Amino acid sequence: MENDLIVEGQVRRFSLGQVLRKRQRPPYWMIVPAVFLLLVIVVVPFFISIYTSFTQLDQYTIGNWMKAPFVGFRNYIYAFTQGSALGASALQSLWVSVSFSVLTTVFITPIGIIAALLVNTSFRGRAFVRALFLIPYVLPVFVNAITWRMLFMNGWGLVDLILSALHLGSINTFWLIGPNSFWAMVIADVWSSWPFIYLMVLAGLQGISGDLYESAYMDGATVVRSFFSITLPMLRPILGLALLLSTLSHFNNFTLPFIMFGTPPSPQADVLPLNVYVTSFQTFNFGLGAAMSLITLILMMIPAFFYIRMLRLGNETA
Amino acid sequence: MRFVGIVIFALFISVPMAYVVLVSLTPDTEVGGGSIWPSHIAWNNYVSMWVTVPLAQDIFNSIIISGCTALLAAIVALLSSYVVSRFRFRGRKTFMLSLITMQTIPQVMLLLPLFVVLVIIQNTLGVRLIGQYGTVIVTYLTFALPFASWLLLSYMASIPIELEEAGQIDGCTRFQVLMKIVLPLILPGMVVTFVFSFLLGWSDVLFASVLTNSASQTVAVGLQTYISTGESGGTVFWGQLMAASLTSGVPVVIIFMFFQRYIIGGLANGAVKG
Repeated sequence: MENDLIVEGQVRRFSLGQVLRKRQRPPYWMIVPAVFLLLVIVVVPFFISIYTSFTQLDQYTIGNWMKAPFVGFRNYIYAFTQGSALGASALQSLWVSVSFSVLTTVFITPIGIIAALLVNTSFRGRAFVRALFLIPYVLPVFVNAITWRMLFMNGWGLVDLILSALHLGSINTFWLIGPNSFWAMVIADVWSSWPFIYLMVLAGLQGISGDLYESAYMDGATVVRSFFSITLPMLRPILGLALLLSTLSHFNNFTLPFIMFGTPPSPQADVLPLNVYVTSFQTFNFGLGAAMSLITLILMMIPAFFYIRMLRLGNETA
Repeated sequence: MRFVGIVIFALFISVPMAYVVLVSLTPDTEVGGGSIWPSHIAWNNYVSMWVTVPLAQDIFNSIIISGCTALLAAIVALLSSYVVSRFRFRGRKTFMLSLITMQTIPQVMLLLPLFVVLVIIQNTLGVRLIGQYGTVIVTYLTFALPFASWLLLSYMASIPIELEEAGQIDGCTRFQVLMKIVLPLILPGMVVTFVFSFLLGWSDVLFASVLTNSASQTVAVGLQTYISTGESGGTVFWGQLMAASLTSGVPVVIIFMFFQRYIIGGLANGAVKG
């Protein structure tokens, strides 16, 4: 009797589910606020930005913005040739941004993997260590940036003190201006973002069955061999996602260089978002700023495209 | 072997942090004076930081702005993610795709037209928009809303549909089903969405540095007052600055630790802090 009821319930549920999903009209009004907001604050500004990039909109023409002269591709040509009045050209910034995001990702990947392997098996105090490993990542970026600005201060910052005490460098290395500023930015960023890879790898490690390692051990595989033949191949999907997301978010990192170096930064550390910011909001050259941000976006689309492909939208269950 | 590794990592993490704590307890006049050990512990930094910059006001602004942003984002995302996860309709995939795309758009690219439009509206209508809480909150939604929608979508997918059908049979409208059946189930997801969106707002510097004024500035912008006095030739009160940084950063760390187990789930679903 009871069994029958359950079976009946399941049959009914199945058909009703179909009715609910397919025949019933979705309550569209519920999605309207989200669509409306996103249209007004993201989509429309996006197109305004494209239009602006073809005009000479600046602090003088904004009062009569409809008459801002249309200049075609001049902003794009300027972006690649001379750039903003202060700092680097967009082409130089592009190079800084690409090397920054690729280099940091390359550095944090092994660090994150090693950290995840260290805490993957249980030991006394693991919860504490795991919490400790998260701290650099969860501290707000502006706090990290202020911290590293101080650590890299010339003459008395901890980095210079340690380097000179070990006779590895001068007490006056000048980390925050000139060519070293790029490396100061990379070091600070590596310190604050490696736990991202660590978290992703940790999540990936949960999915690897212990049996694999056991049979590998039986076959006489060393730990190193197991790592390269089992762990790394099994981690490939999540690691791919992690590397893409990391590259994307590093490319967009504005806060760290903005606070570490102030504006305008040395050309060697003038990443694209910062350059767009200075061009737009300090020299008020909105047209040029928009052109530079579009160049950024087009570049970002390359990793973003692969990211969206990896997520396989539409395959997930509704 | 593992022990050595963990010690190296622990030093790597804690040496900079320990130095920050140390400087936060060093008298301002002694920072950079040659010795890294202060002559006495200057608890005073934690007192005077409230006076040197309007830290309490800044923290209050941050709480208001990030709180309203997170609340709005969570509510709007709740409604939209329910429709997207329970129904198939034209434009559904486009909507989901645009949520992801929006998270990859450089924020500075949106700030620029938003700023231009705000200035034009200000000039045309003679109203003041830049510096208002509302303006900052709406612009924060540019990153908080796509993030919140995407995060809630994965929570929504994990809620069984059976209960809702029971509610439907009892004659509830879709909205009643959402409020009475789905909302209590998804409440943990809502809390996580709220907290993460709040923290996104808390950490923002870009939008706040352009769209706030001295009265409505967030703590992230307020702390820069210390640094900018140095850039304009004054002395930087490093001791106080470190004390204030810790004050604005440590609560965030504690909140994150509290929600630690949700972070990994959120990350694996592709929702990442910027």
